[in-house]
Amino acid sequence: MTTIGILANPAAARDVRRLIARASSISIAERCAIVQRALTGLGAVGIDRVLMMFDRGGIVSGLERAIEHHRRDVPLRWPELEILEMPVTGEARDTLKAVQLMRRKDAKVIMVLGGDGTHRLVAHECGTIPLVCISTGTNNVFPEFQESTVAGIAAGAVAKGLVDRNEVCRQNKRLGIRVNGQPQIGALIDICITSDNWIGSRAVWRTENLRELYLTFAEPDAIGLSSIGGLLKPVGREAEEGLVIELGPCDTSRQKLEVPIAPGLIEPVGINGVRRLMMEEPGRIRSRSGTVALDGEREIEFAKNDTVEIVLERDGPLTVDVSKVMKKLATKGRLS
Amino acid sequence: MARTITFKEAIHEALDQEMARDETVIMMGEDIVGGLHADGEDDAWGGVLGITKGLYAKYGDRLLDTPISESAFIGAAVGAATCGLRPVAELMFIDFMGVCFDQIFNQAAKFRYMFGGKAETPVVIRTMVGAGFRAAAQHSQGLYPVFTHIPGLKVVLPSTPYDAKGLLIQSIRDNDPVIFCEHKLLYSIEGDVPEESYAIPFGEANFVREGDDVTVVALGGMVHVAGEAAEKLAGDGIQCEIIDPRTTSPLDEDSIIESVEKTGRLVVVDESSPRCGMAADIASLVATQAFDSLKGPIQNVTPPHTPVPFCDELEDLYIPDAAQVETAVRRVAAGG
Amino acid sequence: MDLNRQKLLEAYEMMKTIREFEDRVHVEFATGEISGFVHLYAGEEASAAGVCLQLDDRDKIASTHRGHGHCIAKGVEVKGMMAEIYGKQIGTCRGKGGSMHIADLDKGMMGANGIVGGGPPLICGAGLAAKTLGTGGVAVAFVGDGGSNQGTTLESLNLATIWNLPCIFVVENNGYAETTPSKWSVSLSGNAVDRAAGFGMPGVVLDGHDFFAVYETAGEAVDRARNGGGPTLIECKLNRYYGHFEGDTQTYRGPDEVKKVREAKDCLALFSEKVTRDGTISGADLQEIDDRVMQLIEDSVVEAKAAPKPPAADLLTDVYVSY
Repeated sequence: MTTIGILANPAAARDVRRLIARASSISIAERCAIVQRALTGLGAVGIDRVLMMFDRGGIVSGLERAIEHHRRDVPLRWPELEILEMPVTGEARDTLKAVQLMRRKDAKVIMVLGGDGTHRLVAHECGTIPLVCISTGTNNVFPEFQESTVAGIAAGAVAKGLVDRNEVCRQNKRLGIRVNGQPQIGALIDICITSDNWIGSRAVWRTENLRELYLTFAEPDAIGLSSIGGLLKPVGREAEEGLVIELGPCDTSRQKLEVPIAPGLIEPVGINGVRRLMMEEPGRIRSRSGTVALDGEREIEFAKNDTVEIVLERDGPLTVDVSKVMKKLATKGRLS
Repeated sequence: MARTITFKEAIHEALDQEMARDETVIMMGEDIVGGLHADGEDDAWGGVLGITKGLYAKYGDRLLDTPISESAFIGAAVGAATCGLRPVAELMFIDFMGVCFDQIFNQAAKFRYMFGGKAETPVVIRTMVGAGFRAAAQHSQGLYPVFTHIPGLKVVLPSTPYDAKGLLIQSIRDNDPVIFCEHKLLYSIEGDVPEESYAIPFGEANFVREGDDVTVVALGGMVHVAGEAAEKLAGDGIQCEIIDPRTTSPLDEDSIIESVEKTGRLVVVDESSPRCGMAADIASLVATQAFDSLKGPIQNVTPPHTPVPFCDELEDLYIPDAAQVETAVRRVAAGG
Repeated sequence: MDLNRQKLLEAYEMMKTIREFEDRVHVEFATGEISGFVHLYAGEEASAAGVCLQLDDRDKIASTHRGHGHCIAKGVEVKGMMAEIYGKQIGTCRGKGGSMHIADLDKGMMGANGIVGGGPPLICGAGLAAKTLGTGGVAVAFVGDGGSNQGTTLESLNLATIWNLPCIFVVENNGYAETTPSKWSVSLSGNAVDRAAGFGMPGVVLDGHDFFAVYETAGEAVDRARNGGGPTLIECKLNRYYGHFEGDTQTYRGPDEVKKVREAKDCLALFSEKVTRDGTISGADLQEIDDRVMQLIEDSVVEAKAAPKPPAADLLTDVYVSY
């Protein structure tokens, strides 16, 4: 029996960015549909079982209704859907717990539907299980927009061993973080220190408040915080280094740069310095108080007595390159 | 200076003069401009019967076309009235109160009382009433007694162009919510109307015709039917005193009672349904307050207790006519 | 976020006042001295406070059955409210409105509303008036998850969009419309926020227990509305601590449901913990507010109980401005 986990975040893509910058939103109904299309792809390559966590957002309940209708109307080629037995709090810890259970139940691949934040949580617990990443967020850099039918086929192919996972997976970097010596859930793309006092609505868009930015990679065509690095000094996803940027208010900074800080929002940022971040190089942030934003969301408030340390690490998650998988399948004629 | 204009023109003139006089007067309703956001003529309709046509050219954005969404825009008119505007909302047919009644009777009507006397809600809802257009059961009703029943509302029912203008001006200047009922068969009647602005106070009946034998209270379109009957009866020596209350809330009870005290006989002619209608209400008033003056039973002339039929012959049977009034008057005149 | 020490203390006092007011009404209702229906807002304070602290005197709000919190947050005088709930002449509405109809138009509070979904059309009107008169005002309709299903609310979302009104619709989704769960009764699996897209309006969902999230998001929505950007829908996911109305045995709720929420998501506890952590505000500061609030509520109840009922003549007054 081959098992796949699907982690679909019900909360992504509906935060304050809809309001400040008309970022896209994806309804729960559409998220259900994305999962259904993934099930079709997974079924086509013979996956037997899919694990999901229950969510209070309504994805699973919508899915269960769809499965009931599906059974009645068309011959079922979808895998069995198993809902993980676990308490649901509606908090981030649900995701962590669900991924732990997926590992325990021998999921060969985990498909992640969500934004950078969701991927960050999954990556924290997934170990060496490869991830198939589908962006449903709006401000995303880590996952890409990907039709879930095809992503389902690719996920299934990797899980079934139809392709060699070493040939189609990428080893990602990550940023580790410790607060007062305690390890926290790290970041996949960026850690940003801001002068905001409060986590508030989580998103980061007021560029005058940005102070320090740590990046695992930076692409010039990115949206969000990592675009600052991408437009200054691009770093590849697989490069053996990252980037640190010192930021400040535009009027007191050495350089001013216009960046697409959020969908629909191009704002100036003040740059005071850029340097390479070496692998495993220990570092402590300079700011004395503010918030730490992890992959674009304010998550930790810190004050003058707190120490925050950040380090670039190699052991991020493995991610499946869907395009590579499909090319291999095509060459082998495996879908005919 | 008075000149002869139609009922419809009188209403247009009242709206025009009040909008010119007071910038807080705004208008809203379905197609009251008509075609404003379409590709053709801006002011194409001016309301379904063209009553507001031409006002958009003068007052622009103070006239708002609405979606067919009576709850929202009647409620918006009510809300705006508590916030410093004097909205005149057009509810195309009174029959449509069914889709927005809450905003009228639970909100507008009750604010002042519920809020301990602090609220003023100077909103006018203009609406078409009455049968005779072959418009059938959902576009022909005389539902003004329903509004009359609600404390907090004022209800106006003009029967002549002169009254229409003066009462509408009063309605707009009034600080309470007013339901202004326009009988659709009256739009084309003509009468003398002064060019200058004037207001007719509420609760003051009009003595349409003086007479000593029988008091005939008639409302709206029925004033003309009663007049026709009275003309004929006068030839036979029966002198009717026709009273048009003009407003059903407040109702000029004193005029009706004084007249009955003089004549000792009462016929009420009304086009609303007989049960809990205006005729029943006025008959009850006289029976409880002037019983000793009555020389015989009161006669009510109303439609039957049915919906308004479509077929022309049936609708003509439905609407009270002069012959029925004549019969009723002869019956009461013969008594005592 | 412009939250200085003074503003934080103000936010705490506002939320604490709502909590103590509701907790006390809960106790007093049980004695039988308060008649009629009361619907308590305890547990949802961060929503009213987070939104209303972004408003000023130009702005209007319309509320729901569960209106006490919104009233307090918009500045309606607490003693008058308590007296109103007791049906006394010194009440906000002279004892003629009661819990479900407390309003104070001078404060921009257009009324709690006994009709579910009654407020949004009125708020379109308030927004239209602000726009027409150029006051710069913003109008906020609070509705529950139940109210989010009413045609009036959906019509208002449409009207506010096509007229580009300075309106904000705040859906306080506390999980239940009376006993009926919103995850069942609100399409889109209980997510009223997803309806925003259908009207071309930004929709934001947030944790309604988190004052800071509400405050910041509401601030953006208010700025947008004031600057002519049009309406916004905000869904606050939150919980009520008491029943739909006082006397509701709440057997439809899961075992320990309320207890767990009180332990993990209490908006006042979350707020206190955050603001005292870096020492800008001390426990003593908060205690001082607690004492003041307790005294205010105590005085309100004592004065309300002692006050006379309205005289018989008041039955007939204030139906019309003139009649």
